[in-house]
Amino acid sequence: MRITCPYCGTRDVVEFTYQGDATVTRPDPASTDQAAWNAYVYDRANPAGKHSELWQHSGGCRAHLVVERDTVSHVITSVAFAGIKPNPARTTTPKRKSPARKAATRGKAAS
Amino acid sequence: MVERESPLGQAYKPGRHGNVAEAAGVTLSETRPGSIVEVIAWPGNEKTALAAIKSATGLALPDRPGAGVSREGRAGYGFAPRRWLVIDDREGAARELHKAVAETTGVINDLSHGRAVIRIAGPRAEWVLSKLFAVDFSTGAFPVSNGCSTSHHEIFAQIQRTGKNQFDVVVFRSFARAFWTTLCHSAEEVGYEVS
Amino acid sequence: MSGRRISDRGRIDRSRSISFRFDGKSYSGYVGDTLASALLANGVALFGRSFKYHRPRGVLTAGIDEPNALVTVIRNGKREANVPATQLEIHDGLVTESQNRFPSLAFDVGAVNQLAGSIFSAGFYYKTFMGPVVGPLRGTRFWMFCEWFIRRAAGLGRADHAADTSRYQRMNAYCDVLVVGSGPAGLAAARAAADAGKNVILAELDPVPGGSAKWSGETIDGKPAAEWASGEAEALSDHDNVRLLTRTHVWGYYDGNTLAALERVGDHVASAAAGAPRHRHWVIRAGTVVLATGAFERPIVFPGNDRPGVMLASAAQRYAAEFGVLPGKRIALFTNNDSAYVAAAELSAAGAEIAAIVDTRQVISAGARDLAAKAGGELLLGQAISATNGGKALAGITVQRLDPVTGTASGAKQTIPVDCLAMSGGWSPAIHLASQAGAAPKWNEDLQAFLPPEPAQPWLGAGAFAGDTTTADTLRSGRNAGMKAAGGRASRAQAAKLDAPQLDPFPAPVFEIRSAEGKSGKALVDHQLDVTAEDVRLAHREGFLSVEHLKRYTTLGMATDQGKTSNVPGLAIMANARGISIPEAGTTRFRPPFAPVSLGSLAAERFGDVSPDRLTPMHDWHVERGAEMMPAGLWHRPRIYSLPGETLEQAYVREAKTVREGVGMVDVSTLGKIAVKGPDAAEFLDRVYTNKFSTLAVGKARYGLMLREDGLVLDDGTTWRLGENDFLMTTTTAAAGKVMQHLECLLDVHWPDLKVALTSVSDQWAGAAVSGPDARKVLERAVKGTAVDNETLPFMGIVYGEVDGAQVMICRLSFSGELAYEVYCGAGHGTHVWEALLAAGEPFGILSYGMEALGTLRIEKGHVTGAEIDGRVTARDLYLDWMLSKKKPFVGSAMMDREGLVDEDRIRLVGVISLDGLPLGGGAHIVEGDSRAEPNESIGHMTAFCYSPVLAKYIGLALVKGGKARHGQRAFIADPLRKRYGPVEIVSHHFFDPEGSRIHG
Repeated sequence: MRITCPYCGTRDVVEFTYQGDATVTRPDPASTDQAAWNAYVYDRANPAGKHSELWQHSGGCRAHLVVERDTVSHVITSVAFAGIKPNPARTTTPKRKSPARKAATRGKAAS
Repeated sequence: MVERESPLGQAYKPGRHGNVAEAAGVTLSETRPGSIVEVIAWPGNEKTALAAIKSATGLALPDRPGAGVSREGRAGYGFAPRRWLVIDDREGAARELHKAVAETTGVINDLSHGRAVIRIAGPRAEWVLSKLFAVDFSTGAFPVSNGCSTSHHEIFAQIQRTGKNQFDVVVFRSFARAFWTTLCHSAEEVGYEVS
Repeated sequence: MSGRRISDRGRIDRSRSISFRFDGKSYSGYVGDTLASALLANGVALFGRSFKYHRPRGVLTAGIDEPNALVTVIRNGKREANVPATQLEIHDGLVTESQNRFPSLAFDVGAVNQLAGSIFSAGFYYKTFMGPVVGPLRGTRFWMFCEWFIRRAAGLGRADHAADTSRYQRMNAYCDVLVVGSGPAGLAAARAAADAGKNVILAELDPVPGGSAKWSGETIDGKPAAEWASGEAEALSDHDNVRLLTRTHVWGYYDGNTLAALERVGDHVASAAAGAPRHRHWVIRAGTVVLATGAFERPIVFPGNDRPGVMLASAAQRYAAEFGVLPGKRIALFTNNDSAYVAAAELSAAGAEIAAIVDTRQVISAGARDLAAKAGGELLLGQAISATNGGKALAGITVQRLDPVTGTASGAKQTIPVDCLAMSGGWSPAIHLASQAGAAPKWNEDLQAFLPPEPAQPWLGAGAFAGDTTTADTLRSGRNAGMKAAGGRASRAQAAKLDAPQLDPFPAPVFEIRSAEGKSGKALVDHQLDVTAEDVRLAHREGFLSVEHLKRYTTLGMATDQGKTSNVPGLAIMANARGISIPEAGTTRFRPPFAPVSLGSLAAERFGDVSPDRLTPMHDWHVERGAEMMPAGLWHRPRIYSLPGETLEQAYVREAKTVREGVGMVDVSTLGKIAVKGPDAAEFLDRVYTNKFSTLAVGKARYGLMLREDGLVLDDGTTWRLGENDFLMTTTTAAAGKVMQHLECLLDVHWPDLKVALTSVSDQWAGAAVSGPDARKVLERAVKGTAVDNETLPFMGIVYGEVDGAQVMICRLSFSGELAYEVYCGAGHGTHVWEALLAAGEPFGILSYGMEALGTLRIEKGHVTGAEIDGRVTARDLYLDWMLSKKKPFVGSAMMDREGLVDEDRIRLVGVISLDGLPLGGGAHIVEGDSRAEPNESIGHMTAFCYSPVLAKYIGLALVKGGKARHGQRAFIADPLRKRYGPVEIVSHHFFDPEGSRIHG
């Protein structure tokens, strides 16, 4: 895999470090909402397909990047500096499966 | 003034090495500049920072990723967003840049002791560096005066093309001897001269 | 030289003779020969014994697809196994051996396995050796008994135990167009792309470019094809923008149009030039790839098809045309398609007698008939070979009428004496790289072959790879691929003038010939792993229907050749058994590598030097003073500076005592150091540390603790305020990189509004910690330009001065628990300042000390390091909760009070004293009872231990359930690995000077 760093250009993936899911939002620092913190630290969707990820160009300019990547084909559709512009993907809260949807999934698996 | 010790120690062995059947493919040396300084601008202050670099050092660095200037005894280039490296043969550039860069513009870090600069020059310089770094060193992709940040496994490196067949590789001082040894090893095939 | 050598054909250099050895015997060949061609020229037909049955084997192919003729090469006393003789170029002094035979190739005792053939059928291992022991001859235990014998009897070449002394290198390359394969299609593609000004890499696995043009016998643009090819290659090498890589096989196609290739730089020369690698591992990032990898000819599966002398028709043709060797004097051909007729005509023209052409088809094209007439010999249509005879070399074939519906040969037998049989079962495009890079391949009914899938990455196909069947089409598709890869358009125009017979491009769908008589000998599908057609049917009967199961159950398509000759026939036989079509039976998906890759080439320049040494500025001083160095991550640090005759323990005890009683000095340059600068630096530190830093005065340092987002401890260290907006953060040596990334991520991603800049300055500073009651006296003598008294330099204070002309920054802080100072200077002045401090300390008996003494001093004080901060502990576990500010949120503050993290029964920091006077051991478990006989439940573990000079006891730190609540209790350590059991007392981790009076001394 190769990632096109907006500063350095296209480089091999070994120069980059995966830094987690770019779709989660850090709660307000003063917040004591355990559910929100739990979602931020632990809850991950792990989609097969389009995903928004944080990669640091640790072996290059060291910038953190938001990489839109297909986890199945590894095709990267966009790379942008993290934190520069508010990224719509980063401001939405992670979708959590509703109990109804979970039940539907289970039903499907059983059938 | 106390002389600075080279980090290369006994690994620095002047003379001809490797394949001596033909002319040396590359010449390796440690340039030991007096100053290595990093300039960092706050967001939106890039132009002010570049102006400060120019006023302190005379280097007019273009405001493009990786763009730089390489002159006799003095060079600079961008190596990361809002960050530039200035290398000067003279000591004291950190002091001058510290004065020139206002707190509202950004900050500087004196890395004169913390980095080592290793020069590789000669017709096979691109070939030897390509063994170690996954960067396109052809002149089309990497013009003279440009710089980049990359790594050879654990060894982080900032590389500037300081001539058609010449590159200056900046590495952390603690890794300098390991990098030098690896570079010499890689240059044996083409024959190299340490000067 | 034997009569097998032809005088007027081939690209070998008859003026340069080469002497080489095979199985102890000396032979000669010419420059340009492969081991296979040279041995064939010497009349050698037997190259090795087969994997399971030890059947005699010769060469099947003339290229990289060779399954049989694998040899061991001995070079400088080092053995390399499983090298295809067809790929091995001979050179003076080459020493080779055949494989898998005992005691000799001609007389092999393992050949009795042939008699026991049915025992070793598909699934033999699974059926015999897996599962529970149910009888004396079954099960895993039986396997352990039999393994030695089986390992000796079965298998390919044996691996060498000696270290590989060859050099390997990696090369990173970038190009606009990578052309894989230099046959007519590849040459045309490279030429078109190069003429359009693109940077081109052309990779060819053979030593000489040209592919099939080297032996096809065709005429291109009025010239013999081989001449045309060498002219094209020469023209390409005149281009500055073309790099021609010969002896290079592209073996992996990865994401981002990154391809891996292996260049065999030194295998064909007797000795390598200074610094030259044996192999070069190319990693090529290409804009566009042109795959012109050609096609592999397929064998036909029939009884006795593996006898030495049976080979592919194209291989026989190639030996004659490219190497000037006749593979036989009297040759028969066996085919299901027209291409073998070309081979027959060429072999005949080269001087061989064509005994017969056996064709499974009733009707053939006029072009084929013409070629048959030219070649001479009987033309036997609608017939097939049902048996071969001969011992270790082919002596004759048996031909019978073929029932085209059942694929069975029956009826009157005609026996034809021949010493070579050249067969063709059709052609399979070499789609391996395309398959690695994309979706499943597509079956083409006309060609009876898999064609490449639609590209998922930027590549274009050309030539036989893409299903072209004539050289004219191949040249056109090659040129068009090159033009398109260069951003141009394809053209319909003819690429070159061709002079070739009109032939039927499509083969008959015949893959296997079965004899009506049943048992008439083994019909090999996978020659390399001795998988027969019957094994495939057995797999079918036993339910291993899918192509993946077939492969694993029978081993079809495994090992060094990866089934290049066997995949499609195997699939066809399975499809036939299941009564379905070939594409329904499944498709083969290829994975890297396309062909074997030396492991050394992947290690490349890291061979023998796995990670770089990270050295402190005073490294050479330590080594010269006899320090025993130890690794700390990538760093090398002094462990002890021992005196002659001293043990490790004696040395560190002496060093630690010196610090407690006088003064010592240790190199602390490895500590992580991060410059934290900017108007928001103090605010930033307040957010990342559990305690406050905005309240820290300029010129003072403070101990800080960092948590992760999940509330567990990340790292600790002191941070110094050098200016209002200028901090120097120190981290533990091991966590420096991790902390830097943690902080960069917070700034970049979460707090981009903060004006803070981080830079690693670990290497800018050399650090020496001067510790002990006499430390101040040493500094008073050494430091100029500042006072170092208690008032000027209080605990946690910072001053600037000079040591022997070098500028220094001194912070008074202590890891040892003694009065101590960390003296920092520019790294280039490190040794200078270090020596000056030692000279100043001489009157006080100053000594340098190493990591063991440093550890001893900190254990006595109960200070934590990475051994305790192991990613699982909380601040409370370490009794550092006093550092958790309640006045501000910080990273980890929201999650650190979760139920499981505040449980009193967690394992928490304690001290441990050995009660039996024997050393403790790091990692040993703490248990409640003496567990020598029966293990007790673990209540925790030791993290560090030492002999304490001040307590005159073996002590240690441990994380134990309940922590403080167990102070004063007796427990035991249990270390079954080192067989160390014994009683201990659990005490406070502050063994020495808990009030800290000495630090302030």
